[in-house]
Amino acid sequence: LSKRIIHDHNDDGINRRGFLECMAWAGTGVIWTVSGGIASSRAFGAPGAKAGFTFVQISDSHIGFNKPANPDVVSTLQATVDKINALPQQPDFIIHTGDLSHLSKAAEYDTMDQVLKGANQKQIHYVPGEHDTAIDDGKQFLERYGKGTQGRGWYSFDQKGVHFVGLVNVRALEGLGKLGADQLEWLEKDLKAKSSSTPVVVFAHIPLWAVYPEWGWGTEDSAQALTYLKRFGSVTVLNGHIHQVMQKVEGNVTFHTAMSTAFPQPAPGSAPAPGPMKVPAERLRSVIGVTNVQYVAGKHSLAVVDSPLAGE
Amino acid sequence: MSRNWREQGRWAIRATAALIMTVVALSAGQSADFVRGKDVFERRCGGCHGLDNDKEGPRLRSVFGRVSGSVSTFKYSDAVKNAHITWNAELIDKWLTDPDKLIPDNDMAFHVQKADERRDVIAYLKELAGK
Repeated sequence: LSKRIIHDHNDDGINRRGFLECMAWAGTGVIWTVSGGIASSRAFGAPGAKAGFTFVQISDSHIGFNKPANPDVVSTLQATVDKINALPQQPDFIIHTGDLSHLSKAAEYDTMDQVLKGANQKQIHYVPGEHDTAIDDGKQFLERYGKGTQGRGWYSFDQKGVHFVGLVNVRALEGLGKLGADQLEWLEKDLKAKSSSTPVVVFAHIPLWAVYPEWGWGTEDSAQALTYLKRFGSVTVLNGHIHQVMQKVEGNVTFHTAMSTAFPQPAPGSAPAPGPMKVPAERLRSVIGVTNVQYVAGKHSLAVVDSPLAGE
Repeated sequence: MSRNWREQGRWAIRATAALIMTVVALSAGQSADFVRGKDVFERRCGGCHGLDNDKEGPRLRSVFGRVSGSVSTFKYSDAVKNAHITWNAELIDKWLTDPDKLIPDNDMAFHVQKADERRDVIAYLKELAGK
């Protein structure tokens, strides 16, 4: 299994990369805890506060993609599921932050479902990516994964005291994602019912912060959504789309983007344009993977661990 | 709310939005095709293409009348680089219908299923390019 944790936001003087490369992934990663904007870390599985629950975020599986960046996206999704099933503390559920399919084809969704059936978790929450909506406006996606959702597929649910909100921001306006007035109105009403001490997790495909607007990596009207979230003490925003880990803390809001289970994309501005990035075959599994999130009861903070499918 | 009601609600919202956009655009001197084409572009193409920036696909503001594979900042497939065609309405329609049929082994996996949507987005691109 994997050996390396991708992100390091804690300026504590530890040579974390070298440290982490020596560890097996299962049970020995590092949990990043962000509370009140200050990040701290501890060994995964080390004694800590009472565990609340964990969930896993996976993203950008692109089932149906067959170009050189990853000609076998099904096997890397399968490896992802195997990795989740091997976790010492089994997550309560899985969140998929979009681009399940590459071309919104029925056969692609069938394959996706077949692989995810092998996960120990039977509760899986989805939001669409633009690849799930561009061909048919998300009709198939909604038929399969949108039961009980509102509008173009947004919804919320509560899990052990944490409020989860799935948003749809894949309609591109001049390249940027967009939530739209109807969804924002729903979000405002949905959050009004919650006390400001409720931890909130928001998940959507395209980043809800301006990662790199030149490449469309941001959401045009996300500022409005964030005003509704401002009063909450702990907000974690999970996104995909950019196929790499990035994190930003702004007040009580932690933004986090996940790796893809299929292929990486270049770092912002490091290439003429975004898109599938071909890496040597032996390196592929070190740049794709999963995100494990832990909620610790009473802490009002969520710990986020990113892990590739394999070490470099 | 039942799915039927939701579908009808979505249709009503989309129809109203399209009507408002058409009225605004017509008063701004843009054609109805342009307005519908912009809507199609945002729904179908905008995930991978910008007008003035390269994304997963090349910038498209001036694609109508442009020679294939000629945006110097974008890395095209060899197939598109070697196609040497000039994008006109007929060729864009063929491309959007089935990219691989027009230029085998290209990198674009998407297509636009509906003929009226292809027509509208072509009108949009043509007007954007000032053709």
